[in-house]
Amino acid sequence: MDELGLVHQLIIPIAGYKITINLEVILMTWIVFIVLILFGVFASRKSSLIPRPWQVLGELLVAALYQLTEDALDKEKAEKYAPMIFALFLFLLLSNWLGLIPHLQEPTKDLNTPLSLGLMGFVIAHYAGIKSKGFKAYAKEYFQPMFFMMPLNLIGELAKIISISFRLFGNIMGGSIIILVVSYLTYSVLLPPLLNAFFGLFVGTIQAFVFTMLTVVYISVQVK
Amino acid sequence: MAIDPNILVKVAAFAGGGIAMGLGAVGAAIGEGYTASQANLAISRSPEKSGDIFKNMLVGQAVAESASIFALVIAILLLFLDASTANLLQAAAFLGAGISMGLGAIGSGVGSGFPGGQSCLGISRQPAATSKLTTNMLIGSAVCQTPAIFAMVVALILMFMDFKNAPALPTWAALLGAGFSMGLAAIGSGYGGGMAAGASCEGVSRNPDSVGNVTTIMLVGQAVSQTPSIFGLLISFILMFRVFPESTALSPAMALLAAGLCTGFGGIGPGIGNGMVAQGAVRWVARNVEHAGDLMRTMLVGQAVSQSTAIYAMVISLVLIFVV
Repeated sequence: MDELGLVHQLIIPIAGYKITINLEVILMTWIVFIVLILFGVFASRKSSLIPRPWQVLGELLVAALYQLTEDALDKEKAEKYAPMIFALFLFLLLSNWLGLIPHLQEPTKDLNTPLSLGLMGFVIAHYAGIKSKGFKAYAKEYFQPMFFMMPLNLIGELAKIISISFRLFGNIMGGSIIILVVSYLTYSVLLPPLLNAFFGLFVGTIQAFVFTMLTVVYISVQVK
Repeated sequence: MAIDPNILVKVAAFAGGGIAMGLGAVGAAIGEGYTASQANLAISRSPEKSGDIFKNMLVGQAVAESASIFALVIAILLLFLDASTANLLQAAAFLGAGISMGLGAIGSGVGSGFPGGQSCLGISRQPAATSKLTTNMLIGSAVCQTPAIFAMVVALILMFMDFKNAPALPTWAALLGAGFSMGLAAIGSGYGGGMAAGASCEGVSRNPDSVGNVTTIMLVGQAVSQTPSIFGLLISFILMFRVFPESTALSPAMALLAAGLCTGFGGIGPGIGNGMVAQGAVRWVARNVEHAGDLMRTMLVGQAVSQSTAIYAMVISLVLIFVV
């Protein structure tokens, strides 16, 4: 049970500050990148009217996610943001599934990954809001319904980052802790594969979807 | 008053196990009862479908029971686990684990009964959509379990983490507070998530073609309803992993306990309120699919406003932890 809460870290001291790098997370993130790039290459190589299996898979995914984006945003914005949404979903999906393979871990298990993705979504949503409404109308929303509500509105906006990133982090890390403890107690007999299927495949897919949809909806709330 | 620390840890483990299973039995039983009552109603409406409805009821009840199975696992572990160290902190951690799991199982248990019941009713109303309804119910009630899973994670961390290096005197209150924060905050979120899932099963039965939109909005609504329990998880992580300076005074300890109670109680109402918002949105998306985008936006804004009270509670907890 010593692994609980253990992280391999590379700490580089620079000018009195310590730069901490979580080595495993970076390695796992790169694995996800490589698999995704390979999938993209396979799906788009030799694309033809009669598609090959990889192309079918890619087109199905793109069409389904594009439809979801268009439902929430309008057509023009959907064309702009759909590639980002698509990349986000596939990255999260593959990240959450990575823990199924022995010796690999989900990059989303480390708070840094969900938090930075949540920050990214937050910045994009607010950039989209400022761009479509103009800065004045954007800033005015913070003073609704009364001017003194400003600090509370601001805290409410910031709490969105916390909730979106901790939702993913809590689910994935919670699943892996439960799997770790149950494997330890049952000597890895019988139960852990079922738990892996539930937390890795099922919860991982749902949380990747929820994170992506919330990012889309946050953008759509800002632009409308 | 000197109590043998070994006895203290045993007492805390027994009390924690009792609390975990006792409270953990409350929610799932209510949820399963609701499922069964709706199944009876459904069978009386369309007796020729009684086989499908009965099967669906049993599956729904099995999923609804998982929260109380989590509680059973934690209770058994508490009763039979050998404590590695015997001191006040270990006792507080065991008690906190029991409180977290026991309270945390209530909301998810009650909540995951709603999709089960509504999908049974839905089968009687729209037998052609049986498989869609069962799938939707399974997704909805599995997502309802998230607060209970958070509570189980906090309980497991409390039981298995090594708190030897922490100073015993204010930390015992922090560990108890972590249990209360997670356990109480999970009640509202679990219940609210269940309301959204129930409405989605009802919606699918009214308009089976809208299943894609309804499931999407149900998932988003449930996810946002779970935000108060995520705040509870955040506060209990801070309480568990932050090292507090040693002090024998009572006030820092009470501040930490109060921080847990504040986020915990503060999360109950917003969780249920967010669930109501999601319930309304999901119900009407099924009847008016064309305006799913507008409904989702309105739902999200409404939930953000009804969530603000949970955010105030979290701010006060953070002040109690870091400032006082």
